[in-house]
Amino acid sequence: MFPTDTMAQGHEGAEYGFAFLDEDAKRELRRSIFKAVCIPGHQVPYASREMPIARGFGTGGMQVTLALLGPRDCVKVIDQGADDSVNAANIRAFFSLTCPGVSGTTLTEAASVIQTRHRIPELPLRNDQILVFQVPYPDPLVLVEPNAATRRRMHGRADYARLWVKLYEDMVAFDEITISHRYPTRINGHYIIDPSPIPRYDVPKLHQADCLYLFGAGREKRIYAVPPHTDAIPITFADVPFTVEEFIDRKTGKRHCCRRCGATDSFLDEFPDEDGNRVFQCSDAAYCDSRLMQQEAAE
Amino acid sequence: MSVIDLPALWRPENHQALFRLILDATARPGQGADLSPHLGGAHAALGALATFCDNTQTLADLTGTLTDADWRFLDVARAPADQAAFILAQGSDAPTFQPRLGTLDAPEGGATLIVKVASLTEGQPLILTGPGIKTTTSLHVTGLAPDWLTARARWCADFPMGCDMVLADDTSVAILPRTTKITEG
Repeated sequence: MFPTDTMAQGHEGAEYGFAFLDEDAKRELRRSIFKAVCIPGHQVPYASREMPIARGFGTGGMQVTLALLGPRDCVKVIDQGADDSVNAANIRAFFSLTCPGVSGTTLTEAASVIQTRHRIPELPLRNDQILVFQVPYPDPLVLVEPNAATRRRMHGRADYARLWVKLYEDMVAFDEITISHRYPTRINGHYIIDPSPIPRYDVPKLHQADCLYLFGAGREKRIYAVPPHTDAIPITFADVPFTVEEFIDRKTGKRHCCRRCGATDSFLDEFPDEDGNRVFQCSDAAYCDSRLMQQEAAE
Repeated sequence: MSVIDLPALWRPENHQALFRLILDATARPGQGADLSPHLGGAHAALGALATFCDNTQTLADLTGTLTDADWRFLDVARAPADQAAFILAQGSDAPTFQPRLGTLDAPEGGATLIVKVASLTEGQPLILTGPGIKTTTSLHVTGLAPDWLTARARWCADFPMGCDMVLADDTSVAILPRTTKITEG
């Protein structure tokens, strides 16, 4: 039988410093974050540390968050918009275990630091909030160039011709750009970033935002940033406008709405219910819950 | 576990607090950050160095104001200004050095200049535009020789290469990343 609180196992006697990482590691992360903000969109290399979870499970985002957190912070962790999925719940438990004083929340508006996997919250973020992305593949050029040194040279010279050829090949084969997530986005007119696997729906939120976006790739050992009020333009052709998911019901021509809260202005997850019917529900659980609470309060 | 009673500036919790203030000021160039609650009476420029420096970094002190104790706490290697990752300079003296600007492939190698100025609240405004600034913002500085602005414009002419400036008066900092464009108001 498992103990009720698995996170507390073996914690007694383990004397980690605040935020798990040693001070040298945090200082190195902070230097890299500083340079990443100074050079918007540039992938700054850093010495990604061993974490108590495997690389590829959000260690990059975790290290960036740990370098930021102080005892007065309030942290929210989401995975595909949900606060309670395995990845998010365990990372939040890790923060509460190793960062005494830091409070956790599921409310987007209450958090000072939000770590996310694959979504940007529906609620627009404020200038006193930082969004930290867990990034699996930081380099958009990996699709078109296998050599890392060559990719670095291409980034420095803003040589992205081959990415456009890739988009053009999509147009020729499918009459549309088929990239559904990780849409290449140009930051401040120079670097093109991989904005992590956020859906197209979230890409416009990077453009001229109020908050700071930080991206941490643990396995690939890169940190990059999109500062507030910075141009973030998804690359496309002059005659092929960038489009986002619309969730239009082909039968009625209307937009699908969330089956819980009825929202028609959120990114929706589509899945089959118990009877095999297609249903739609807000991907951002906190947004859905807050709408439900407002509706209950109004009744 | 033994606890050493370090001066406030050298405690990890203050480095975290200083970093968050500096990060916020970096993301919003020209917006000053008051570091005084976490400095323990030290100069804001030393606060910035304490946040970023350790024994993997190099520092050139052109002001001669760092004490032996500061150097020991910073635990940072000394280097000439043209090779150092961090340069501490006096704003009233026109720059006579060429900092590291990084390379096209690795622009993060560009130096971080920490420039001591007399005040960040008074003086002729500089008009700033660029990433982190919604439209334009103004930064008031006294004690910064005009040559700094021409030198900085030259160093930062070839984005992504360039250097990033931390302007520090006694208690606060304002940051000019290499992307910020400056016109004199």
